[in-house]
Amino acid sequence: MSLHVYLMRRLVLMIPLLVGISIVSFTISNAIPADPTAANLGERAAADPDIVAAFRHKWGLDQPLHVQYLTYMRNLLRGDMGTSIRSHRPVVEELRRYLPATIELATAGILVSVIAGVIFGVISAVWRNKPIDFVVRILSLIGVSAPVFWLALIGLLVLYLRWDVVPGPGRLDARVVPPARVTGLYTVDSLVAGDLGLFRNSIEHLLLPALVLGAYSAGLITRITRSSMLEVLSQDYITTARSKGLREWVVVMRHALRNALMPVVTIIGLSYSSLLSGAVLTETIFAWEGIGRYAYNAARTLDFPAIMGVSMLIALVFVVTNLVVDILYYWLDPRLRHG
Amino acid sequence: MRRFITVLFVLSLIVMVFGTVTAQDDEKVLVVGLSEDYHSLDPNRAYEPGGSQVHHSVYDTLVTFPSDSVDEILPNLAADWDISEDGLVYTFYLRDDVVFSNGDPLTADDVVFSFNRMKNLKDNPAFLADTIASVEAADDLTVVLTLEHPDPAILAKLIFDAFSVVNADVVREHGGTDAEDAAETDTAEDWLMNNSAGTGPYMVESYEPTVQTVLVRNPNYWGEPAYFDRIIIQNLPETSTQKLILEAGDIDIAMDVIADQLPSLRQNDAIEVFSTQSDTLIFLLCNQDPEIGGPMSDPLVQRALRYAVNYEELKFLSGEGADNPAAMVPIGFAGALDPSEGLTRDLDQARALLAEAGYADGFTIDLEYPDFNYIGTEFGIVAQKVQADLAEVGITVSLVPQEFQVSLEAYRAGQQGFSLWLWNPDYYDTLDYVEFLPNGVVGNRANWTDENADQEILDLRDAVIVETDSDTRNELFRQIQLYEQQNGPFVPLFQPGVHFAYDANLQGFAYNGQWRVDLTKLHY
Repeated sequence: MSLHVYLMRRLVLMIPLLVGISIVSFTISNAIPADPTAANLGERAAADPDIVAAFRHKWGLDQPLHVQYLTYMRNLLRGDMGTSIRSHRPVVEELRRYLPATIELATAGILVSVIAGVIFGVISAVWRNKPIDFVVRILSLIGVSAPVFWLALIGLLVLYLRWDVVPGPGRLDARVVPPARVTGLYTVDSLVAGDLGLFRNSIEHLLLPALVLGAYSAGLITRITRSSMLEVLSQDYITTARSKGLREWVVVMRHALRNALMPVVTIIGLSYSSLLSGAVLTETIFAWEGIGRYAYNAARTLDFPAIMGVSMLIALVFVVTNLVVDILYYWLDPRLRHG
Repeated sequence: MRRFITVLFVLSLIVMVFGTVTAQDDEKVLVVGLSEDYHSLDPNRAYEPGGSQVHHSVYDTLVTFPSDSVDEILPNLAADWDISEDGLVYTFYLRDDVVFSNGDPLTADDVVFSFNRMKNLKDNPAFLADTIASVEAADDLTVVLTLEHPDPAILAKLIFDAFSVVNADVVREHGGTDAEDAAETDTAEDWLMNNSAGTGPYMVESYEPTVQTVLVRNPNYWGEPAYFDRIIIQNLPETSTQKLILEAGDIDIAMDVIADQLPSLRQNDAIEVFSTQSDTLIFLLCNQDPEIGGPMSDPLVQRALRYAVNYEELKFLSGEGADNPAAMVPIGFAGALDPSEGLTRDLDQARALLAEAGYADGFTIDLEYPDFNYIGTEFGIVAQKVQADLAEVGITVSLVPQEFQVSLEAYRAGQQGFSLWLWNPDYYDTLDYVEFLPNGVVGNRANWTDENADQEILDLRDAVIVETDSDTRNELFRQIQLYEQQNGPFVPLFQPGVHFAYDANLQGFAYNGQWRVDLTKLHY
């Protein structure tokens, strides 16, 4: 089928999917045997029935569940995701504040993991069973197995404290004023503002967290690339290309890699969406104000509007990323275009 | 491909060479690492401990504590005060030289506005104003506070951030109100998040939630100017990160050090460490209702528990700075028994008491607790220690770890038979610990009511809640604590340590439980 029709169908299917997710998130958050009043009111306030009643009324918690749900959905269609119980700010505003930080971190992380992963994967496949292969395979094993918080702390200890190669946690140095907000991505905004110093600072601060965050995906991508390449390299058409006298480099990059990338693209898509849904541990250790930390704090304090908002957002991210991955398939595999 | 890489390389070179960040020159800046991401900078709603770092530097209260203790009440905005014979009327005489950050002089109206706003906003700290019947301005510099009934703790409560005095005109201008319906009609919170209207040495310059708060010097400050021109409070949620950044020199003081980090920090000559016992009281609760508490509702069993617990080892487990209070009043509060007067472990006595209660062969009981880490105190570990201690007298404890919110609800509803919890003081007066007596907030959670309590403790309780003479109060609290050592449904375990680490060159560090560290007194 043509791309247009496929795209339309996917977009239409997104709607029942998102509605379903909203029902599930809502049901689960309300099924927990715990009360947001307990989470958000201090000891004394919670002991006072008047204050508790006022609190429940203010946040609509005294309405029956289905009414609460319909009110929420109605507001959602108007772009209002409610107000966070914890911070008293509109959830939409908070998500808009915290999402760019995660996008920046996740994108940097995926770039690191794709570049490292594909390169190492190819090297490992081409020089199979040579020493370099073993080294790469061990590195990828470490990447996949090492707990992220351990990597983060070791990274900070060695690269920040001992060798002073990277700056400390945070998106910028403490005394630096962030750029005027255009997209919320400090790298982009600082370029827009023409401030090279700020740009450099934001990139420097991205290095270590991106490395740590990308380590797992890098390990994964390396292994998938390697096995995919090995499979492709054993195909007949590769032998044909070689026998035609093409340089090995051309054979590998132009013929083998292109075909080996299909499963890798799937992994990249899945990794990116999971990075985008926020990496709580990395964000906490590096003091990054991202969606992961926000979701964790929302869940911990039973901040229902925030929990719903974050769940819907992350669901949307996953759905969109999967769509993009599927479109990439079209581009990569000519057979699908004419199917 | 090759060209792409070359271009990338050249661009990086350009950024490296020309990309430098201009630092704010010649300013004395203090950078503080704090793990709590407080959410409100509206002082009359203040209830988060982390927020104190901001409020204490930006606003003032009528009276205050010394920077290193909560033992005495000192004048602040109020130069002096009178208390009526019946303990119901407090008259405060304000200083005449205080101005707000915008130059406006402080008047009694500002105090009246602030207190009424705090009470009528009905936010978390509003309960502190429960005993206040009215507050009025007798003249420009005199405030009259009338109580509903005598409240010996009122002066200590007035030191709370929530009673910060704000500039009434400015706050009104931005939607603030102190009317009865302020809870619905006040809209000043937003403005107060990014600005301030106080009399303190600093002003709020900016606030990025979960990132950092920046305070700048108040040019109109009425007192001794502080040393630093700017204070940056950085939100660093992970304690290991705080330690690393402190060691790297990028922050000057780390507010959230845990006991495990102390040995390593102590070895570092560039860093100074401060440790003391915190005001958090970790305790065991027994439910007096036989249907919920089972054997734990038996007074003899409750007494046996107090002899069975290994206080020394619990203290050791908690790490440096921790200590064991003698009863349900933490060390550091006026009238608290000295730790040396606490019960010591006596397994024979415990077993004898259990036998007397009919449990010579012991029994099995569940210990419910929130499975979380409270500032370095791992509840799971404490529960295991209690389990091990009680096993030695024949009580088999089954551990029931619960998710915090779930456990909290059951605890508050008085539904836990035997549980492990903590209590932080609501205000810095010993009166708060009346909550552990019959019909108190925690007493109720243990189903310890007027119906099932001894007359002796009820009399003591009723006497202490109205007594204003400090010597008499201390004597009453002494008797209450001695009673608690032998009777009642609570077992005090320990107060965990609280630790701070800062640049060894930093001077002026002092700690008290109310605001922890006074940033305005620090200097190099």
